[in-house]
Amino acid sequence: MAVFKNHEVFKEVIVGFFNLLGDTPQVADRLLASKMVIRFIYSDPDLAVVVDCSGDKMDVRPDDMDTKVIVEMSMKADIAHKFWFGKVNLTMALTRRQMVAKGPVPKILKLLPAIKPSYAMYPKYLDDNGYAQYNIH
Amino acid sequence: MGGYAGNLIYVDLTTGRIEVKPLDMGFARENIGGLGFGAQIFLELIKDKPHFDPLSADNPFILMTGPLTGCGMDATARWTVCSKSPLTGYWGDANVGGHFGARLKLAGYDGIVITGAAQQPVYLSINDQQVELRDASAYWGQDVYTVTDALTKDLRADSPKPGQVLAIGPAGENGVRFANLINKKGHAAGRTGLGAVWGFKKLKAIHVAGTGKLRIAHPAKLKALRSELKAIYAESIYIGSIQSAGTPAHLDVGIITGDIPIKNWQMSDWEDFDALGPASIEEKIHAGGRTCHACTVACKKNAEVKEGPFKIEKGPGPEYETIAAFGAMCLNADIESVAKANEICNRYGMDTISCGSTIAFAIDCFENGLLSSEDTGGIELRWGNAAAIVAMVEKIAKNEGFGAILAEGSAKAAEIIGKGASRYLTTVKGLEAPMHDPRNAHGFGLAYGVSPRGACHEASLVFEVEGGAMYVPELPALADELPEGSEGRAELNVACQDYGMFFSHCAIFCNLGAAPLNATQAVAMLNHVTGFNYTLEEVMKIGRRLWYLKRGLTNLFGARAKDDRLPARLMTPMSEGPTEGSIPDMERMLKAFYKLRGLNEDGLPRESVLREQNLADLADLIYT
Repeated sequence: MAVFKNHEVFKEVIVGFFNLLGDTPQVADRLLASKMVIRFIYSDPDLAVVVDCSGDKMDVRPDDMDTKVIVEMSMKADIAHKFWFGKVNLTMALTRRQMVAKGPVPKILKLLPAIKPSYAMYPKYLDDNGYAQYNIH
Repeated sequence: MGGYAGNLIYVDLTTGRIEVKPLDMGFARENIGGLGFGAQIFLELIKDKPHFDPLSADNPFILMTGPLTGCGMDATARWTVCSKSPLTGYWGDANVGGHFGARLKLAGYDGIVITGAAQQPVYLSINDQQVELRDASAYWGQDVYTVTDALTKDLRADSPKPGQVLAIGPAGENGVRFANLINKKGHAAGRTGLGAVWGFKKLKAIHVAGTGKLRIAHPAKLKALRSELKAIYAESIYIGSIQSAGTPAHLDVGIITGDIPIKNWQMSDWEDFDALGPASIEEKIHAGGRTCHACTVACKKNAEVKEGPFKIEKGPGPEYETIAAFGAMCLNADIESVAKANEICNRYGMDTISCGSTIAFAIDCFENGLLSSEDTGGIELRWGNAAAIVAMVEKIAKNEGFGAILAEGSAKAAEIIGKGASRYLTTVKGLEAPMHDPRNAHGFGLAYGVSPRGACHEASLVFEVEGGAMYVPELPALADELPEGSEGRAELNVACQDYGMFFSHCAIFCNLGAAPLNATQAVAMLNHVTGFNYTLEEVMKIGRRLWYLKRGLTNLFGARAKDDRLPARLMTPMSEGPTEGSIPDMERMLKAFYKLRGLNEDGLPRESVLREQNLADLADLIYT
């Protein structure tokens, strides 16, 4: 059974978390420096979110399928949830196509150090925002 | 038949006699190549006198290519060496890429068997049919870069194509127990100290020039497979990542799950860690790329430091393992110093994993008051002291001062230092563990424990499968979802050993570049090249026999069940971070593994098991 019961709940959780990352200079500054524009395409429940770091501020746009992005990452919502806890073996997920990435590999790799602090932020974010039932830490 | 050059060179350094013998194709069919050949020939050579010092004329050294070496496909440039290890006293082997193996095949030879020891320095010159030992007095004492350039230049006129050099540096000559062999300045047969075997034998180098061609049994089928794989490689993020950043790409990925040991295995994250990562490498030391023979993956990167205390000329740059060993393990965030330490290891010919880990061990001893600067010749072996780390690398290579103690390897150094220094060791069977933490992936712990050559992430395919780079759907143990913790890791290890012996030890695929291949593609490539019609079941059987042979040889040299355990440093749970509280359940995994493998309580393969594997000679040696 999927972790998130429906599209609305997952959207609230993940968009809220991306916005938190955008408000956290330790993460946002490095993402903005990368100028990355990335679309996450989630399934079960379905959701698309664009995280646009091309401007002065991180812009998080749910349900955006129109923007031309640099990187597109597809995965189940459950995998995304586990990923933000630092509990996904990224190499394995990519090899076994639990995550599918399209775009320039060097740019994808450069995101990893930038988002490292976020693994510690996710459980706290869930607890602080009324989503404690999703905290598997 | 194809894939094989069809000849083996036998060199007796004591008498100077050289023989070229045809490769028995029945033997080839039964053992495929690489260590499949090497271990069988080694056993045959030592069975009448199985107990000997690794640094003696009695220790054979065997270099073997595989049938794929030089076939022109991606990720098939590799070849193997084996001998009794001067570092561990057990079975020793190493696996290496570069260009030497392919050139040896083009000269007409599948491998070289070296016995005895010379009185004076020699090198072996192979130029198609002309094979001879020559005086190496002029090259003795030269570092690997110098002797490589000198031999290449001095022998250039003898062949229409430039030759390839495999050489030891001063570390091998000086008997450093983790000295290695290096081709083209940066392709190292790194582990278990086989450079010291050459040093004892007074064998400085092998130069090979070859003008022949390798016959492929089914070229059209191989071409079709190449096209099929091209699309798979283009889609692979893993291949893309190592093409882009080389093996150091793992620094960004491994840190997420706690795979990278920091501060001699005491930490799994560190605020300065990114200073060692791919972005820092690109900014500070990157100087272009290079590749192994015919491989378009091209994961090798060059480094250069233009000025400052760690200045180095453009040359082979540090791999992931090297950066973790001299960087993270020593809490050293200076990537330029890591590049310098790497260059010293390449020039002097030393394994960077053992060298970096041994220095991290010594720092641990120093910081805990077991050593002082008086012991170390004035070198302040402190965490993060980049200058001290680089200085100690050179001292080790020269077997000089305190470096002479560390040149014995960390396990023997701990005995010499005493005062309980062994509690800071990271060795299994005397071999320093590689830079992948079993607290993150418990199967690695069992793999390190039962590996015939000591703690090693490439002694099977456990690292590739549990680490995530390989997925082999034809073999359920290499494809099924793994439960968390230690459950199922014994079964995983057995399957990864059997398949791994075939994959990277006999056929000799590169574990990195060939990671996208499934078993059907791997066996098909072998069949298209050789013309043999192996099945997956058959290559698994050959792999299994090789695993028992290597395990049995290590047992013959004295290893027992107690030597299958991990050191305390790797078995201490982290108090925070991604692996918080996690340690592999070694007893549970070992119990299940021993049962699956038919090992007795001493850790020896049961006699009946060895005989079932057609290893009667080994059974006789162990049990009579």
